[in-house]
Amino acid sequence: MRLGSVIGRVTLSKTVPALIGARWLIVSPFTREHFQRGSDEPSGLSKEPSLVVYDDLGGGVGQTIGFIEGREASAPFDEPTPVDAINGALVDEIFYNPFKP
Amino acid sequence: MLDHGNPSLHHSITPRRHYSAVFLARVEGNLTATRKHPSFAGWRLIICQPISKDGVPEGVPQVAIDPHGAAMHQRVIISSDGLAARKAVGDNKSPARWMIIGIVDEKEGA
Repeated sequence: MRLGSVIGRVTLSKTVPALIGARWLIVSPFTREHFQRGSDEPSGLSKEPSLVVYDDLGGGVGQTIGFIEGREASAPFDEPTPVDAINGALVDEIFYNPFKP
Repeated sequence: MLDHGNPSLHHSITPRRHYSAVFLARVEGNLTATRKHPSFAGWRLIICQPISKDGVPEGVPQVAIDPHGAAMHQRVIISSDGLAARKAVGDNKSPARWMIIGIVDEKEGA
């Protein structure tokens, strides 16, 4: 799972049947240099490419989420579903203390 | 085919690989989330920064479930084996993927 802030939403007019009614969020992933502390989101976008994430938890723009990428993203579905990133958690607070040698 | 290539690519969004990976990482934080996939209920969610053999950060931080109780700035081994993570959380429809599989107490060699 990676963390990122929700910067937008996507709606689809035509989809494969497995994804009808799905909610999609555009997420800018956090990097080590651009990370949330506590409940204050970092401003702006990170250098990582943003991605579209399937959402069944009800995330909204401005929230921080944890999203799972890869084959595991389609694990919650009964049928094989073409989803490669899924929202796994709506994050309340982050305690981040990067190690400085 | 296992192509470990450039380690920084392991965390980029492409290319997608269909095998699991095991990384040396350092614990750099944790998070709280009230609303989450039900399979994560009760699990510690730990922010793990993959590191090189010299401790230099590589790639983006990953959040892993922690069955072992790793402490801040401890070195750990994380695995991206989704099947093992689903077995650990006891839900075969869980999206869990990264899991702390061990805590490093010493490392030797280059």
